Amino acid sequence: MKVLSKAKLETALNKLNQGAEVFLPMQKAQESGFYSWKLFQQGQDELMLDALNVYLPPKHVVLPQTERMYSIKLEGQDMKIEQTFEDASPRVIFGARPCDIKAILCMDEVFLTRGYEDSFYKCRREAITIVANACYQPGPACFCNAMEVNPVEPAGADIIIRDAGEAYVWETKTPKGEALTSQIAEFLEEKSLALPVAQPFIQDVKYEGTAEKLKKMFADHIWAKLGEACHNCGICTYVCPSCYCFDIQVKMWGDEGYRFRCWDSCMYEEYSREAGGGNPRGDGIERFRNRFLHKLEFFKERYGTPLCTGCGRCIVACPAGINIVKIIDEIKEAELHA
Amino acid sequence: MKDISNKIRDIAVKLFQEKKIDIFIGWEKGALEFQTRPLIARNEADAAKLVFDEYAIHNLATLLLKFRDGGEKIGIVAKGCDSRSMVRLLEDRQFQRERLYIIGVGCPGMKDPLQAMAKHTGLKKINADGNGVAAKCLDCVQPNPVIYDELLGSQQAPQQSGERFARVAALEKMSADERYRFFEETLSKCIRCYACRQVCPACNCRTCIFDEMKPQWVGRENSTTDNMMYHLVKASHMAGRCVECGECERACPVDIPLMLLNQKLIKDVNAFFGPYEAGMSYIEGAKPPLSSYAEKDPDDFI
Amino acid sequence: MHKCECEQPLVPVIVEVVDIKDETPDIKSFFVKNPGGQGLPFNVAPGQCAMVSYLPVGESMISCTWQEEQEYLQFAIKRVGLMTDELHQIEVGQKIGLRGPYGNGFPVEACKGKDMLFIAGGIGLAPLRSFIKYCFKHREDYGKIKIIYGSRSYADLCFKEELFELWPQQKNTEVFVTIDSAEEVWKGHVGFVPSYLEELNPSPNGVVAVTCGPPIMIKFVLGSLEKMGYTDEQVITTLEMRMKCGIGKCGRCNIGSEYICLDGPVFYLSQLRDLPQEW
Repeated sequence: MKVLSKAKLETALNKLNQGAEVFLPMQKAQESGFYSWKLFQQGQDELMLDALNVYLPPKHVVLPQTERMYSIKLEGQDMKIEQTFEDASPRVIFGARPCDIKAILCMDEVFLTRGYEDSFYKCRREAITIVANACYQPGPACFCNAMEVNPVEPAGADIIIRDAGEAYVWETKTPKGEALTSQIAEFLEEKSLALPVAQPFIQDVKYEGTAEKLKKMFADHIWAKLGEACHNCGICTYVCPSCYCFDIQVKMWGDEGYRFRCWDSCMYEEYSREAGGGNPRGDGIERFRNRFLHKLEFFKERYGTPLCTGCGRCIVACPAGINIVKIIDEIKEAELHA
Repeated sequence: MKDISNKIRDIAVKLFQEKKIDIFIGWEKGALEFQTRPLIARNEADAAKLVFDEYAIHNLATLLLKFRDGGEKIGIVAKGCDSRSMVRLLEDRQFQRERLYIIGVGCPGMKDPLQAMAKHTGLKKINADGNGVAAKCLDCVQPNPVIYDELLGSQQAPQQSGERFARVAALEKMSADERYRFFEETLSKCIRCYACRQVCPACNCRTCIFDEMKPQWVGRENSTTDNMMYHLVKASHMAGRCVECGECERACPVDIPLMLLNQKLIKDVNAFFGPYEAGMSYIEGAKPPLSSYAEKDPDDFI
Repeated sequence: MHKCECEQPLVPVIVEVVDIKDETPDIKSFFVKNPGGQGLPFNVAPGQCAMVSYLPVGESMISCTWQEEQEYLQFAIKRVGLMTDELHQIEVGQKIGLRGPYGNGFPVEACKGKDMLFIAGGIGLAPLRSFIKYCFKHREDYGKIKIIYGSRSYADLCFKEELFELWPQQKNTEVFVTIDSAEEVWKGHVGFVPSYLEELNPSPNGVVAVTCGPPIMIKFVLGSLEKMGYTDEQVITTLEMRMKCGIGKCGRCNIGSEYICLDGPVFYLSQLRDLPQEW
């Protein structure tokens, strides 16, 4: 098998960095997330490839928080779209966990299927190579196995690396992966290493059947109870690897400006507020319900898989202690009222 | 703390039995050991779940805003910071005193469930200070409830880690350029999730300026300009209102030192309009300095 | 569901406003075509929508009230928010952005051979008008046509010339107009649309009812139709919600797992019954 020795990792990254921007899990001061290798500061920052995962997902690499779409110019009654900003520069997501990759696959469904291909997403996405870091040691908030993710054989990866102690076992899966592998072929060695043994999940989550049951629970009283402590703060949507909702806005200076899209959150009142002032989800509980139904039911109905990938970040980040695993449990246990 | 938990439970049950309250707001145990979380109890059975432990860090006063338009009578537990927030809500006429039955608890300083979770799950390396007490509690000036109907536990001494405005002093010492660079760097991390606003008991405006679309005061773009605009406008709205509960800084997913800005304003409000500390005691009709107006107010800066 | 025809579905094309007509004090019709006056950027079927954008301000999803061959696209737009406020200030010759066409449109084929009952309130006539005019254009394909329309006041009635002159002259067509409260200038019916509908009590035999208007009107009209014996398969309505992308990506216009911009805006009542009651 091919392996990349951990001692050679940084040199390999430097090499990759010449042809593409490489995003890796790292800790910078108090934050942890996927940052560009260019921003890595020796001695201060810490690579987190061997940690379970990082706090902020690699979502921004495929869907930047703010993305310019096109520039606008006004001349009297004339309006022009001067330039569009599809960005196809090569990027590598290195060491993403299977849950985060599944989230990207979910976004692929949204942005690339059902009649329309989003050109901004498509250009960016096609230029991204994904190196997955297979998971053998689930953390206490992990439940990807329950959400249709295979932690040791992740779908959607161009390359899969497996932590074998001194080195990563390197498995190329796609032509895109081949191209990347060939760039750093000089650092790969042929060696036989024992693969890690997959450890059992700490939480036992039974998602199966939840979507079907939820179909009957839209009007159930359970939502008021489940969402009562929710502040509708939106952290869950921002740290979520798969929450993709966006807003389109404009910025103008006099006669020039640009339109951009930016992340939005279904937790905000303004999200679904209509021009006339009406809002079908004006109440915080209604927004809470929509989010969990989207994650656990609606997405599954539309695209065949849940939009939650079991990464556990929202469980960790929620300032009110709302726990999606508990919500799944309570839904499963709830008695249906006719 | 077991003892306090039991007492809170007994009081809540009794209040429900005597029909003195419709709702009781306290904490319950979450799925994980350090996941204590707010509980809105509506009956005796719910009340049996109430706990008070070292992770009961949330400011419960914010939850009162969910009920401000109703008539429900509410029992609620208050640590020092929760109680100061309640005073502020009463002063701002967001709530009526007679709707509340406040159970005060002296607070020994809490541990931060978010930090514990992050550390436990390995998603973030946390450099926790001291004995695991949450960062926000190390700046506490009033751990004891300032308004209550019943008081539990013993009075506590504040967990001050050092000079109160030490962080502010360091900021003031910077040159304007240095300060600009500091804020530019710090605020560039902001992901504009607005969690700091949502968990803030002082953010009780019915329509927030940041949600206004007509005109749109602050752009939605994640850029230095819009991020600064958001934080500076938010901070100035906190002047004279912030009770230093630190929930904003605790909730922030990217560790922006929000309390630094708030403390600067606390210090300035005290210096210019003081002596003043927000929400330290409830006197009916009292108004904080920036909520009152008199003709003789100096106005030469306008 | 249609295939993407352009490569950048989120980027508008520029069109020119060639005429503007005041319909009511707060509704104007905008007639647009390609800049320079030749042809249209795309064809819009009855009931479909387009994102109309006054570029420096914003975009709004607006149903196209009529496409006249390759002559113009007409949008009747009510002034309700930021973008529409600005749009109401513009003059003929202004360039604006347009992208589309979006949504499923009315089932004009499936309705062939049926009697048609159109029920609209306020600006809700704008989307129905595309279907109504389509029926007149293909008059022999449809049976009797009844149009019930109401607004707050006489001034607020849209498309007055068609309502009072052109449409009633069409073969086998009846137009019933009502306003919410009595006015001196108004000699016609006074009352809300749903109660007028019940008064007229059109038989459901062989009829398809199509309704659009304020949500509260739709709710009551649906109730009335049910009472009058219309089945869920005989009733069609259009929904609206806040939209940003128009192509089923941005997330906000969902009802259950359906997106109004893409899977709607036109739904049979039987389809809506299957969705969460959030409409």
